[in-house]
Amino acid sequence: MKNKKLSKEKENIRILNVLLETACAEFGSALEMLIACKGADSVNIANGYFQHAKDEYNHTNTFLSILSKYGKKSPAKISRKYRFNTNSVITKGYVSTDGYLIETMSIKDFIAYVYTNELLAKESFDGILKLLKPHSDEGIQISKIMDDELRHHGLAEKYFLKYYPRLQPWQLMCYRLRETVMNRGRKFYDKNLKFLDKVLTPLYFFIAYLVGKVLKFIDMNEFDRKGKNLMDIKSKSVI
Amino acid sequence: MFIGLTGYNHESSAALVDIDGNLIDFYKEELLSRVKGDKSFPKRSLKRILEMNNLDISKIIEITFYERPLSAYITILQTSGKNMPKSLPLISHQCRNFNKSSVACYLDIAKTYPGLEKKLSYCDHHLSHTLTSLAYSPKQNEICSVVVDGFGDRSTTSISLVHNHHNIVELWSCPYPFSIGLFYSAITDFLGFQVNEGEYKVMGLSSFGNENSEIAKKVSQLIKWDDNKNKIIQDMSFFKYHVDPEVSFSQELVNYLGNPRNPFKQLLPDDDDFQHYADIAKGAQLAVVKILRSIFSYAYQLTNCNDFLFSGGVAMNSASLDELASLDFIKNIFIPPSPGDSGSAIGAAYYSYLKSNFDKDIFLSKPSLFPSKFNSNNQRKLASKIIESNYKIIAKDKKSILKKSADLISKGEIIGVIIGNSEIGPRALGNRSLICDGTNKNAVNFLNTKIKKRSPFRPTAPVMQESVARKYFVVRDELIECYKTMSATAQCKKESESLNFPTTHIDKTARIQIIEKDHLLYNLLDELKNYNIEILANSSLNLSGDPTSFDLIDTFMISSRSPLKYIIADFALLESIK
Repeated sequence: MKNKKLSKEKENIRILNVLLETACAEFGSALEMLIACKGADSVNIANGYFQHAKDEYNHTNTFLSILSKYGKKSPAKISRKYRFNTNSVITKGYVSTDGYLIETMSIKDFIAYVYTNELLAKESFDGILKLLKPHSDEGIQISKIMDDELRHHGLAEKYFLKYYPRLQPWQLMCYRLRETVMNRGRKFYDKNLKFLDKVLTPLYFFIAYLVGKVLKFIDMNEFDRKGKNLMDIKSKSVI
Repeated sequence: MFIGLTGYNHESSAALVDIDGNLIDFYKEELLSRVKGDKSFPKRSLKRILEMNNLDISKIIEITFYERPLSAYITILQTSGKNMPKSLPLISHQCRNFNKSSVACYLDIAKTYPGLEKKLSYCDHHLSHTLTSLAYSPKQNEICSVVVDGFGDRSTTSISLVHNHHNIVELWSCPYPFSIGLFYSAITDFLGFQVNEGEYKVMGLSSFGNENSEIAKKVSQLIKWDDNKNKIIQDMSFFKYHVDPEVSFSQELVNYLGNPRNPFKQLLPDDDDFQHYADIAKGAQLAVVKILRSIFSYAYQLTNCNDFLFSGGVAMNSASLDELASLDFIKNIFIPPSPGDSGSAIGAAYYSYLKSNFDKDIFLSKPSLFPSKFNSNNQRKLASKIIESNYKIIAKDKKSILKKSADLISKGEIIGVIIGNSEIGPRALGNRSLICDGTNKNAVNFLNTKIKKRSPFRPTAPVMQESVARKYFVVRDELIECYKTMSATAQCKKESESLNFPTTHIDKTARIQIIEKDHLLYNLLDELKNYNIEILANSSLNLSGDPTSFDLIDTFMISSRSPLKYIIADFALLESIK
């Protein structure tokens, strides 16, 4: 009985994790599209990105409402770790600290990225669908999102071929292959980073212990401000 | 030109001050990145400041960061060092994130604009807050500055005396980890809200609490002021923010107050546990108000000043202001429109301006409440297809926009407003607002729960002309400047109609905004007199969880994702045709 409860709890945590990560990914996509809309060079393209961003925002809301449903089932101690925080799209790497894709990529690469990633997103939703059961209410909602992703993929392909007509289908395949490899690479890196993190924690703590010990000897009273004119403190000093 | 920067800890921002000491431009990074509370290096803000003002880095005299980064970094580590081994997770986290802390400011500037880093200087965190307040204050000499926030670069609370712009002396400070701001954030966390974002929800929730309840009394005992030693006392065994990067409260607090709230369960006034959590919020609010009264009394004792500048994140606790102003020695309290960290980019920019004018008598002219530049004409063309497919224009010139809008509002409609530049602070003051009839319960409720999808216990602020505010509310002259920026709540007058307004909170207060004469909402309120409407409800133009709208496209996105039908833009009144 206890084991059954434990495995159910584990399963719930797994679902919470998948839902949170997917919500972050969808939110990141919404932001990418919104910024692309603002930077577009034609009114039609701006409108296209606008509609795409709107869909991605709606997908985020769908995943957040499913997350909320599962979060309610878990004890507060666990569920509080799976709260959605918009800032986490940056800390989790769904939006690069270097900037949005449209700010850092060529337009051609950006379209290729959208084209391939919509398909990859659809593939990862297949996994979520299995996890949440296809015929459940959530499953139906996710199926609709998958349809949207396929539509976005189709639109990106159309857009790609319209603006770069000399591009051959095999070149699109290459873009897709490149993105697939990079995507798998990211997942592999993330998984191993987490594993490495666990392995290295004792070492980190040991270093932290030494740092804590050493810092005890630094006398910060020297930099106390009491009674001092704050405008007279050296402006180049970092302390 | 002088630039001020904030970032890495809370909302990042950049401000530009010219050689005559005028605030020229200001952006919060979240407005541009669309990530609420974006705390990353403000590269978009910096870029936009340079582009919008046709500047290259040769024209920048100095760029000032709002705190001393190494001081902030070491203070946290040193405090953690005293709590080992419990604090090993935090020390480890700090060490591993060295390059993501404010220490990286120099490198980030060098990477973004090579050469600009050579012009970098640093200003004390609380001094940045003080200078921001000073710029917005009508009194700028012989005034006391009280800064209360989570954590600065060395202390969490401070009292300084501003003799003049070149002589600002710190008289008292409270060392980290004892912190009113972090205490309030830990309770925010305990109540299931997001730290640095949910504090205002706690403030709203506290109005439902019973101050005589056992649990409220217990919470209010967690942080106190020692009258004999003039210092803040906090039992740190209940908190973990100084030892753990993940959790802000300890198991002791759970044993003391019961289970924390599950963040996914919506908090509704009819729920069984609503009162319990409201009482906890009440206790936290009582503790903050009590301790702030003690700090201001001590500040008066130290400085003999009757006029106060109040800034730092805790100054956003508008519910505490009315009580503070009732202290008999207080003549005026000035709170800048953005008292938190993002606003202190302005103070940082003024710091380098003042340093380079150290030999001059200076009076800083009051900066705009709407400094974030935006010209809708530039984006209107790009958005023309979006407009064409989703909206119809129902009024074009200002007169007919006002007339039609007044008519719509009288019929219970909600209108989004995006006009001119954007507000500086967290509160919508009419340029990026959602407005409706402030006396129409259904309209206010629809705005709150259907458009913004906020918890029903959270109040919406009313905006009105000064004469109307004096008719319905107890307007304190000590706080008159604060009412212009929605920084303070006001009590309803006894037996006044305002007690029944949907914008009035359960504790018979409202976070009123007195609108100034030159604003469009002032003219709209004039027009609404024909319909006997004197008050508008005013909420920020965003959906729950998103930053306030900055431009037209953000606003159209809000409208497309919610039942918002009408938008007032600079060029027209639009109606959604979806």
